[in-house]
Amino acid sequence: MGAYLARRLWQMVPTLAGVIALVFVLFNWVGGDPALILAGKVPDPAQIENIRRQLGIDQPWWVQLWIFVQQVFTFDFGRSWSTNQLVSDVILSRLGPTLTIMVPMLLLETLLAVTLALLVAWVRGSLTDRVVMVVTTVAMSISFLVYIIVFQWLFGYRLAWFPVQGWSEDLWTNLVKFAPLPVLLGVFVSLAPSLRLYRSFFLDEIGHDYVRTARAKGLSERRVMLRHVLRNALIPILTYVGIGLPSLFVGSFLLEMFFSIPGLGREVIDSVNRSDFPVIKAITVYLAVLTMLVNLLVDVLYHYADPRVKLR
Amino acid sequence: MIDSARLPGALLLAALALLAGNTAHAEQKVLRFAFRSVETGFDPQRVDDLYSSAVNNEIFEPLLEFDYFARPVRLAPLAAESVPEPEEGGSVYTFRIRRGVYFSDDPAFRGQRRELTARDAAYAIKRLRDPRNRAPYGWLVQDALVGLDELHDEALESGRFDYDRPIAGIEVVDRYTLRLRLKQPDYNFLYRFTMPQTAPVAREVIETYAEDTMAHPVGTGPFRLAEWTRRQKIVLERNPSYRGRTLDTTWADPGDPEHRRVIADLRGKLLPQLDRVEIYPMDASQPRFLAFMNGEHDLIQEVPVTFINQVAPGGRLLPSLEARGIRMQRVVPPEITYYSFNMEHPVIGGYTPEKVALRRALVLAHDVDSEIAVLYKGQGQLAYGPVPPGVVGYDPDFRHHEQDYDPARAVALLDLYGWVDHDGDGWRDRPDGQPLVIDYLHSTGATAREAAGLWEKSMRRIGIRLVARGVQFSDQLRDRKAGKYMIAAAAWAADWPDAQNFLALLYGPNAPELNDNRFRLEAYDRLYERAAMMPDSPERNRLYREMSRLAIAYAPWRLSEYLVWTHLSYPWVLGYLKHPIYHTRLEYLDVDVATRAAAQAR
Amino acid sequence: MSEPAVIAGAPGGAPSPGLWRIAWRRLLQDRLAVACMLVVVAYCGVMLASAAGLVASDWEREVGVTYAAPAFLISLHDVRDEEAGGAISRRAEFDAVDLSDIDPLAPRYDEWRRQTADVDVESVERSLTLPLGGDQWGRDILRKTVKGSEVSLTVGLAAALIATLIGTLLGALAGYWGGRVNDLLEWLYNVFTSIPYVLLILAFAAVLGRGMLTIILILGLTGWTGVYRLMRAEYLKHREREYVLAARAIGVGHLTRMFGHILPNTSHVVLVQFSLLVVAFIKTEVILSFLGLGVPVEVVSWGTMLAEAQNELVMGKWWQLAVAGAAMAVLVTAISLLTDAMRDALDPKLR
Repeated sequence: MGAYLARRLWQMVPTLAGVIALVFVLFNWVGGDPALILAGKVPDPAQIENIRRQLGIDQPWWVQLWIFVQQVFTFDFGRSWSTNQLVSDVILSRLGPTLTIMVPMLLLETLLAVTLALLVAWVRGSLTDRVVMVVTTVAMSISFLVYIIVFQWLFGYRLAWFPVQGWSEDLWTNLVKFAPLPVLLGVFVSLAPSLRLYRSFFLDEIGHDYVRTARAKGLSERRVMLRHVLRNALIPILTYVGIGLPSLFVGSFLLEMFFSIPGLGREVIDSVNRSDFPVIKAITVYLAVLTMLVNLLVDVLYHYADPRVKLR
Repeated sequence: MIDSARLPGALLLAALALLAGNTAHAEQKVLRFAFRSVETGFDPQRVDDLYSSAVNNEIFEPLLEFDYFARPVRLAPLAAESVPEPEEGGSVYTFRIRRGVYFSDDPAFRGQRRELTARDAAYAIKRLRDPRNRAPYGWLVQDALVGLDELHDEALESGRFDYDRPIAGIEVVDRYTLRLRLKQPDYNFLYRFTMPQTAPVAREVIETYAEDTMAHPVGTGPFRLAEWTRRQKIVLERNPSYRGRTLDTTWADPGDPEHRRVIADLRGKLLPQLDRVEIYPMDASQPRFLAFMNGEHDLIQEVPVTFINQVAPGGRLLPSLEARGIRMQRVVPPEITYYSFNMEHPVIGGYTPEKVALRRALVLAHDVDSEIAVLYKGQGQLAYGPVPPGVVGYDPDFRHHEQDYDPARAVALLDLYGWVDHDGDGWRDRPDGQPLVIDYLHSTGATAREAAGLWEKSMRRIGIRLVARGVQFSDQLRDRKAGKYMIAAAAWAADWPDAQNFLALLYGPNAPELNDNRFRLEAYDRLYERAAMMPDSPERNRLYREMSRLAIAYAPWRLSEYLVWTHLSYPWVLGYLKHPIYHTRLEYLDVDVATRAAAQAR
Repeated sequence: MSEPAVIAGAPGGAPSPGLWRIAWRRLLQDRLAVACMLVVVAYCGVMLASAAGLVASDWEREVGVTYAAPAFLISLHDVRDEEAGGAISRRAEFDAVDLSDIDPLAPRYDEWRRQTADVDVESVERSLTLPLGGDQWGRDILRKTVKGSEVSLTVGLAAALIATLIGTLLGALAGYWGGRVNDLLEWLYNVFTSIPYVLLILAFAAVLGRGMLTIILILGLTGWTGVYRLMRAEYLKHREREYVLAARAIGVGHLTRMFGHILPNTSHVVLVQFSLLVVAFIKTEVILSFLGLGVPVEVVSWGTMLAEAQNELVMGKWWQLAVAGAAMAVLVTAISLLTDAMRDALDPKLR
């Protein structure tokens, strides 16, 4: 196990190097010039020169790349170019709101999708099954943007079931007051694809011989579904959830923009618009590392969930 | 799906319970509203965006201010005792700092009360030229105060700005007296001292928080920063050590019902009245608008134009809103939106009749009527000159037909000067037969995109090919700086309300920074230089008018419109009078808590 | 030896041309699938007609008043011209400032005036209602939607084609060759999937500038990873199959084995992935347009329509949002259902 972990961690190094190189090329080399934005409305050349020097973007590219690499390994990305805030503070303060939306969304969505998928798989081939499949397909086909615009207007404004937007410092207030509408929206949009996928997992299992054997032994359909099908289908379901985990930490910038949630997704958009390179670099690297770690974690968990899975 | 349908009801109950809990401590006077865009931070010398400056104006006190009532706006003393008189022909200004003004308490003062002195004002001015601060408004005092530029240049060399060395331009005469000496006379110089960028700051605070000054503003103003979640929530609370003021009605217009209302609202009250102000920066316009409409916010400044017909079609407040007591104010701010022609471009630039004819024809062909009526939903007035209303030197009689939408005259003009289709491809060419393609630069916002589409359409109507290029903000700045465009969308908001602040944009020696389309006309420059040496007078206004005439005749810009903004407030917001220069003056606002509670109970 | 013979003899149940035919027949039996197919064909027909300039070529003409109401609402809707007009009263009479002493054009004022009189300016009759309403410029929403389908479908199809090509090619290389090639491509895959998708898109947009081709490239260059993953797995599986080993034994070259033998046997995966990507990209284009990274100003897509319409619901002018949203939803639903049906038809294990 130890050796396996060490090897997997070692394999992350080249990937991280690739991420660093790609981000560097895309933003540092060919991206916008932050000095022009920071120089104000009367951009004096001396001022621009001064800003470039202070930000270190007048250095040759290899020096800048080297600084970037150092930053990654010291976990110190310095300060935001546009607001002078410590980048670590930026990320930490944005992570909470993003998770406040994303974690309930994931839990609710997984729970609903698994339950519904099981029910639909149970009555597979029936009219109900077909109707649900068509309805979910239609639901999936409407743009997220349309959902947000309509839901905010309808539930937030016309019916006034929820506040139109907002956020507070208090986790509980956020959860009961501000998060419900965006969470509901997110669930609504992601439910259909997961439901369809999980249904196919269940159908896969139902097709296996052991199910037929179990039925032949005279087990009730209910027992077959819950004891055998659900249990075995949980593995691919967990994989799917695991793959989606890193996106938990990016959040949905659309939801964050429309509902004024101070999350990471909005920060990404803002930073790109302002060419705030330290923030972009930090978020990218941090998410890349997180993605790799989560993938590793999922693999390890597998091993425990199903000892037949070999760790290679 | 079935389960999720039941969900909102349960959550609604929870939310209601929460709201009920909130009303328990309703005695506090809290005001909530939104900013149209995000802020940067609260170090007055280090920021230039409108919204950070608006907050800084509540926390810090510049030496001077604009009177709350006077229209056109008028200088009044704030941290200074009086408005200085120009000395030595407008090249020396002596400020007397108000005595007994204290900074709000802060650990940096080690438990001492800290009085504002002339030193703090001098320190703030010097900070604007300290290279380490990268002050975007450094140009306010650049090339102006004797000896300051030298300090700046030395700091560039040594890496350290010498704040302690006395210079002739910034003289701290005694504890309460600051004398500023200019390199050349400037009668508009005092306006700079109404801006938060020049507001006095305490050196020990700046040095204590070093890199974190953006989050630790310590000023002498009516409010102080209580909480700040960047780009999300700014909370101000009443500054307990603020000296307090009462409303000065010297310049109020007794004939103006709005002024009378404000005076009645605030009579006998010690300002500020608000205990707490919550400001929410919001990029998207739908939530900002809806948050006001359903009462989550108490006022909305600058109603998004897209929704203007939902509240005030044809400029009149809807009866349903009027019945709720909502008040409307419509104000033309001192700003212009325009389209800049690159005067150094080989095709569109130049001063010969045929080049002038091309630009004048583009101006006449651009469908500004639709831009105002459709894009801005009628919330604009056709701009006749580079000087907008509400600005010293604005001339309401300066009107003509050269900025109209008049495609017939445009076509005639193009035909007359040889900008016709030479090769029969349906598009007009240059007089020498080369193809003519206009490169139009704009940013990626929704309105900018629509405006670009309108240009494309307008040009196609008269047979001119225009290719719009939408780029990110920094790329737009880069291309404009490098002169890689033919037409670029632009806007300018006044730093101070004098015509000079706008006319400077076309002054030759200001190219290429301030005058970024590089208009250089000798006659114009000479008029500008003469006007700069004069105090406000009919003679100076005549020069301003001459300059506006040249700007129209040579058409370095397509002036489009002066926008009219609508501001709404609920009846429980007292004392609210939208000032054309200030984003907000929270000091003058009050909230009638009982009225609000009654309205929300309904 | 001819190819079909090899494949027909291949054990392992990979789809052969015979299976394609069976799948096609199975598909035709599914009424829903046929309906979807007709919808997709109809959309493609509209797209081609629009591209050829047969329909909606005049979508930019401003035929109605600002936000002209949909015609079917005429009885319900109080048609007023409230928005048009605004508050412009500038045609009022005034004494114009005289520029003649400084104007470089002054010498030819008279000629200019005379020529102006000869210019005809066409004035358009604007109608109060349009079949499905109008946008803020008074353009017909119906025509705009038709024209928008051209762009959205082109973007979706072209970007999906690029992504599928890249994904298939790289997946084939990695799966078939293994070893160093596999390591290198796995590395590339890991790098691309480690960076959040939003950032990747914004970064490519910043680099590539603006334009139709750019959007296609952005989507294509960032969207290949899913296809790569699946194709690599397929190639890993197939390269050890007997039909491939047999081909090697008789000296068939690598390229032929990769693309002549294995590819046809995995093409059902490619087809399904391709149609999934089309759907995904049509939807992503909307988000790009919302962020202002969409198509150029003189072009209309469903994405730009929805981005324009984002405030119109609150204004009570819901038709652009509804029509563009519905047009997109119908197509995307049809493609998705068709994809499901195809998958079922091609892979009889699932039903």
